[in-house]
Amino acid sequence: MNNKDGFTSAFLFRILVAGAALLLVACSEPAKELPVNTRLGGDFTLTDHNGERFSLSSLNGEVVILFFGYTHCPDICPAVLARVSQVYRNLKEQGEADRVQPVFVTFDPERDTAEHLREYLPWFKADIIGLTGDVPAIQKVAEQYGVVFIKEDGDSGEADFTHSDYIYLLDQQGRVRKVYPADFNIDEVVADVKTLL
Amino acid sequence: MLKRFFSAVSRTVSAVLLVAASAGAVADVRIEQAWLRAVPPVSPSMAGYFVLVNDTDEPVVLTGARAEFAGMAMLHDTSTDGEGRRSMSHLKEVTIPAGESLAFTPGGRHLMLMKMDPVPEAGETPKVCLAFQNHADLCGAFQVRHNEP
Repeated sequence: MNNKDGFTSAFLFRILVAGAALLLVACSEPAKELPVNTRLGGDFTLTDHNGERFSLSSLNGEVVILFFGYTHCPDICPAVLARVSQVYRNLKEQGEADRVQPVFVTFDPERDTAEHLREYLPWFKADIIGLTGDVPAIQKVAEQYGVVFIKEDGDSGEADFTHSDYIYLLDQQGRVRKVYPADFNIDEVVADVKTLL
Repeated sequence: MLKRFFSAVSRTVSAVLLVAASAGAVADVRIEQAWLRAVPPVSPSMAGYFVLVNDTDEPVVLTGARAEFAGMAMLHDTSTDGEGRRSMSHLKEVTIPAGESLAFTPGGRHLMLMKMDPVPEAGETPKVCLAFQNHADLCGAFQVRHNEP
């Protein structure tokens, strides 16, 4: 082996060692703690899909995936429902869903009655709690979470809503820990939920 | 006699080639990647997505849709404003320029089906037809799916 070959081998060896060390550090780093969002959230009481009064605080001790929408929405809302349900089912497959609760709040109480939600939500196989109520009560919850919804006359003759469509991850004390867009990454939410269990 | 024989052979070959060409032909305006998002049986509406390809030399104007299982079908667009609010609007017509294609995708342009009876289930492939201002109706099988293909 000449000097040049020796130098190259030593250089490659050092790179390999440095790479392995970096990999070890990355693997041993604990999952980052999600910050508490102090500007959004809080307890509220609405009516659940069984027609019973329901307070968010009754879920203390569980991680909540909270989201808003309406069942007459054809495009975004069913997609969000499907994705949240997939998060729940993935956690269930991993034996991690016992203390996880998806909660859907409608901002269309006129059509999304408790009875309709009771018929609509079980299809998603994610044990989703559906919440409805009178418009002022729902409006107050929406304001707490920074959700905007505006009722409009749709061209189909049915009411439509302009609305924000964020998904909220709440910890076991009901505090907002992360907010996701409607097209969130399912694996990311699954991983975030696990940090709060 | 020989001339008649060759003429007959020629006609037969031409016919076979024509049939073969027809069988392998791709429509100049066509629906691709068509699907409907599966929804609960009590759902009042469902959305459909597809890519409309226009391989002609002229623009085609899509004006609406229909399906036997839906009492109403419309073309809609979901748009997002600067503050993240989504809203839907009715598309009265959509032009697909010559030689281009246009995608109808979740969170954007979509087909909205209402008053369904029955609501098609996941795995089914109901027929949905698109109507045009300057082209014959196009019908295609839309696969009902839980997730995007």
